[in-house]
Amino acid sequence: MWANPALDYSAAVAADPLVAVEVVGLKRSYRSGKGVFRRRSSEIEALRGITFSIQRGELFGLLGPNGAGKTTTIKVLTTLLLPSAGTARVLGLDVARQPREVRGVIGCVFGGDRGLYDRLSGLENLRYFADVYRVPARGQRARIDELLELVGLKGRERGRVETYSRGMRQRLHIARGLLHDPPVLFLDEPTLGLDPVGARELRQTIARLQQAGKTILLTTHYMFEADELCHRIAVISSGSILATGTPADLKGRIADRTIVEIEAFGASDEMIERLRSVAGVASVSVELREQAQVILVQSSRGPELVQPLLRELEDARVGKVVSRQPTLEDAYVDLVGSA
Amino acid sequence: MIRVLASGLRIHFLQLSRSASDVLGITVWPILYATIAYYMFGAESDPRVLLTASLGATVMAIWSSVAFGSGGAIELQRRLGTLELLVAAPVPFGAVLAPITIATSAIGVYALAATLLWGRLLFGIPLHFEHPLMFALSLPVAIVAIGMLGLVLASTLIFYRASLFLGASFEYPGWLVMGLLVPLSVLPGWVAPISWLLAPTWGMRAIRESTIGGSPLRAIAMCLALSACYAVIAVAFLRAFERLARERATLALT
Repeated sequence: MWANPALDYSAAVAADPLVAVEVVGLKRSYRSGKGVFRRRSSEIEALRGITFSIQRGELFGLLGPNGAGKTTTIKVLTTLLLPSAGTARVLGLDVARQPREVRGVIGCVFGGDRGLYDRLSGLENLRYFADVYRVPARGQRARIDELLELVGLKGRERGRVETYSRGMRQRLHIARGLLHDPPVLFLDEPTLGLDPVGARELRQTIARLQQAGKTILLTTHYMFEADELCHRIAVISSGSILATGTPADLKGRIADRTIVEIEAFGASDEMIERLRSVAGVASVSVELREQAQVILVQSSRGPELVQPLLRELEDARVGKVVSRQPTLEDAYVDLVGSA
Repeated sequence: MIRVLASGLRIHFLQLSRSASDVLGITVWPILYATIAYYMFGAESDPRVLLTASLGATVMAIWSSVAFGSGGAIELQRRLGTLELLVAAPVPFGAVLAPITIATSAIGVYALAATLLWGRLLFGIPLHFEHPLMFALSLPVAIVAIGMLGLVLASTLIFYRASLFLGASFEYPGWLVMGLLVPLSVLPGWVAPISWLLAPTWGMRAIRESTIGGSPLRAIAMCLALSACYAVIAVAFLRAFERLARERATLALT
């Protein structure tokens, strides 16, 4: 495995050598203003004092809905934002006070199409970022070849980025983030917008990186992705961490429950409210899938609850009804829904 | 560090050369400026005056390229989503930004060649330089000095999202204050001290004195001194504005 001789880890001494990332009471608020003459400013609290830590070599997931504070957390940890309060350390380095040192030991990959020079080829992009990320000239080409092989872009590196598919761009992002062989990686929704095959290949790449010893913080709102990849997960909502644990721990929180999934057409808000008042129902959520409403009912009563539920929905058209064990997604919905 | 600078120059030139609209703009503007300058001074004027006018048009093109290009470069990095990645790099941000502004200034080499050739072909202006060696020295010195002034501008623009418009707003006042359109002597007295602090004023003077006679060394020395001052100011600005941008979350587009 290639190791960057230009990297200097001497400043990176954590209080606990097993801890790679340590976040304590982290707060971040944004101020926005309206009006020209009578300017009114308002403050939005994106992070409300979150605390968590990531062990070295761990793949840690940050799960949450849009606007929960996932990207803000990553931006603070990658030194792009200053915290309003609290501390954050990467390999013992303070992200607010030692940004230059932190930047030498981290790699960041943001999801989406942006972050590359479209008019240049994949190879030209990697060469430029290799120089900017201090990859020594000697061995630079070999390192780029190794990464192109790792992300499956070998043979396509001379094409302009503007001709790449979204999946290829995302894999190029990963290669860019790994150029200087950082021990800690921040991946912000890396599979966002990818097709299923592209997303699966990217998940395999992420798993290989973790096996190679990288510490990874992954943000996503795809539950199966977090379940498949992460050792531990923190669920974040409205800037607060609601729960932390392994996927099994989180699922275990609702292990005594059964999920009844009802496909319905034309169920009114009143009917949904009536479902909530059925004895034994812990929570009810509704997802729209094309024309259908999929009603997810969590309860401790098991399949016997199906008949009372269907009675409340007798004025709506009901399709498939399934009773099953809870998944990580159910645990997540329960946590976020009750927050 | 030299590698980062060289790599940045190469990448920025490649980016510019692969956009038809950028190439068209860079190609056409100097010729337009030169044509306007020739007609302003009149084709029957002293050929030496016409040559100076065409060189003034060149410096105008360089300044426009830097004033617009510095803001544009930051805006482009924001739009591409690369600004955050470059700020998050372990090298000082100034080393990443300087090649971009110097590259925009160096486009002036083309502007010079195009202007002189245009004048020679269409208006028969003789290409005679009093001090050819001084001319060869004053041109790169002016380009670096203007590029460094662009770096000072660009450093302030990291903080502002409307950087493109802010940068562009320096273009026309710059032409006036630096004496590129009309001689400084016809402007109010208070303009002169401002113009002395701006590198293109001295760059223009060095080029003019190398061409029509005089002692361009003083102007060249002033250009170099101002370049050093700009570099120090830019480093201080970059440090301060980067911190402000991290505090107020202005690095990203959204």
